[in-house]
Amino acid sequence: MISRASAEVVFAGFTAAFGAMIAWGATEFGVGWSPSGPQPGTFPFYIGGLVALASLANLGLALRKVSAGDQPFITAEQVRAVLRFVLPMIGFVVLSLWLGLYVATAIYMFGVMRFQGRYPLWHSGLVAIGLPVALFLLLEKGFRVSLLKGPLEAALGY
Amino acid sequence: MENLLALLGGFSVAVTPFHIGLMIVGVLLGILVGVLPGLGAPNGVSLLLPLTFSMDPVAAIILLTSMYWGALFGGSTTSILFNIPGEPSSVATTFDGYPLAQQGRATEALSLAFLSAGFGALVGVIVITLLSGFVQKFALKFSSPEYFAVYFLAFASFVGLGGAPILKTIVSIGIGFALAAVGMDSVSGSLRLTFEIDQLIAGVSFLVVVIGLFGIGELILTIEEGLQLKGIHAKVRPRDVWRTLLSMPRHWATLLRSALVGVWMGITPGGPTAASFMSYGLAKRFSKYRDNFGKGEPDGIIAPETADHSAGTAAMLPMLALGIPGSATAAVMLGGLMIWGLNPGPMLFVERPDFVWGLIASMYLGNVLAVVLVLATVPLFASILRIPFAIIGPAIVVICFIGAYTVGSRPFDLWLALGFGFLGYVFKKLDYPIAPLVLAMVIGDKAEDAFRQSLIMSKGSMAIFWSNALVATLMGLGIVLLLWPIITTLFGKVRSSA
Repeated sequence: MISRASAEVVFAGFTAAFGAMIAWGATEFGVGWSPSGPQPGTFPFYIGGLVALASLANLGLALRKVSAGDQPFITAEQVRAVLRFVLPMIGFVVLSLWLGLYVATAIYMFGVMRFQGRYPLWHSGLVAIGLPVALFLLLEKGFRVSLLKGPLEAALGY
Repeated sequence: MENLLALLGGFSVAVTPFHIGLMIVGVLLGILVGVLPGLGAPNGVSLLLPLTFSMDPVAAIILLTSMYWGALFGGSTTSILFNIPGEPSSVATTFDGYPLAQQGRATEALSLAFLSAGFGALVGVIVITLLSGFVQKFALKFSSPEYFAVYFLAFASFVGLGGAPILKTIVSIGIGFALAAVGMDSVSGSLRLTFEIDQLIAGVSFLVVVIGLFGIGELILTIEEGLQLKGIHAKVRPRDVWRTLLSMPRHWATLLRSALVGVWMGITPGGPTAASFMSYGLAKRFSKYRDNFGKGEPDGIIAPETADHSAGTAAMLPMLALGIPGSATAAVMLGGLMIWGLNPGPMLFVERPDFVWGLIASMYLGNVLAVVLVLATVPLFASILRIPFAIIGPAIVVICFIGAYTVGSRPFDLWLALGFGFLGYVFKKLDYPIAPLVLAMVIGDKAEDAFRQSLIMSKGSMAIFWSNALVATLMGLGIVLLLWPIITTLFGKVRSSA
């Protein structure tokens, strides 16, 4: 179990680092006044600083609570449920970049339905083929929007 | 009078078979995204937006706004039948909607919700019709400092009235501004904050961010909470609808009060969610049947629904007239306007009256259509929710990532959507508000430009933001809103000690 207060601390640290990074990145472009007005880095510099300061305040508030309460942020059971969902999703993104979105959709739908939903083979297969085909007709034919494609589409001449 | 003539012109633009067809498609798609877990109005509009890039702007905005109305209705459907708010703004509807449906009065609960929503939306559109001419004349007096002051006011009201922890709201707004600044600087033309990552040169698209934050983030949260769908079967009988319609005038006070709350919160960007909660609270305070709230009190459905929809529609007014969106969905549409090559703001009324008034006219029609369509299709959409999550969940994931890719055909956007999905999940878990981030991303560049141009005008002096009555009033109002939580606590202390 991860406590909510510790999650608050970590995330406030993350946003503080983000703010600091933006402010630091902005200094490259000048954060002062030039004859043509404020330099390009000025606005992001102060925004980054504001984020960092507000985050530090959040961090302080969260640190005070760490010792006091131990409300859960997420339980072990919830972590498992989230991972069961998130890992295949990450797999889907990796597959999409490699095989294209249509083929990845088919593999992902089939995998989740067959191995997590325990659907019969034909049922999972039907959805896994039907969904990408329907999307292809709708997007490529209907709206003339082209999606990321992979080797299969290339072999089919698209 | 001028406005009425313009509105008639708008109807002649909006009422074509093609546009009405788009309204129907938009409303139905909207109900679908409103009903499905993880998809909501901002996300649905983001997914559809890339498909409208090649459309005529009038047709495109009709499609997108109709989707918005549909999504608002879909959100209330799941609130009432499943006790799952499909939209954050329909959370308050669950308080009394679900109990009433549990008592076997699902039709009554649904009709109450849809009819009061329709009423709220109509009040919102009427206010837009009456005020837009005025706001436009007012806005034509604006130059850079005034624009910056209005942006400031918009963000201040998020901080002061949004209801989320103040520091977290500030972090959320700041992250949005920072993301908007990535890529080409519109004033100097230099590349900023790319950290030598080539993929960041084109900037970070707010659409991809919305799809990640709202879509994927919401899905992860749904999974974590262990989705339990215990739905109530709904059959909408026309007779019950009719009876509910006849009972509506009895609730006139709640209807009117809620519509006003909604209009106010929609124009000042408090947004529909805050409006519905505020309206529910007020209805409870003024009701004779206060004890019945939470147990299926009709006023407890009417109040949040009316306010939700009047805020949703009223949010279009600042979007069109000032270029400031009053809700996350309006922010996405505003981004769409810019992509279609329109320039939101007072000049839009002068340059493209057909667009503005066509949109306003379509809002009248679209909302009436939406009430009818949602009543007719509720059983169908409720049955979609009974499809097991092992099918519907991954299908929504696929649609989100395809949507993210269609924004700019960049493979990198798939990673961005994933990353923002995790961010959205953590934001939700830790009570960081998401809407201010989206708003800051969409108008970040414009706010920055207004700020820089003001300083160029004043040669670097901040006094320009106090240089005339108009800008000083706006800034003063913004500061009051910013300090509002502190002011109310102080008042509370004074009162309790007295």
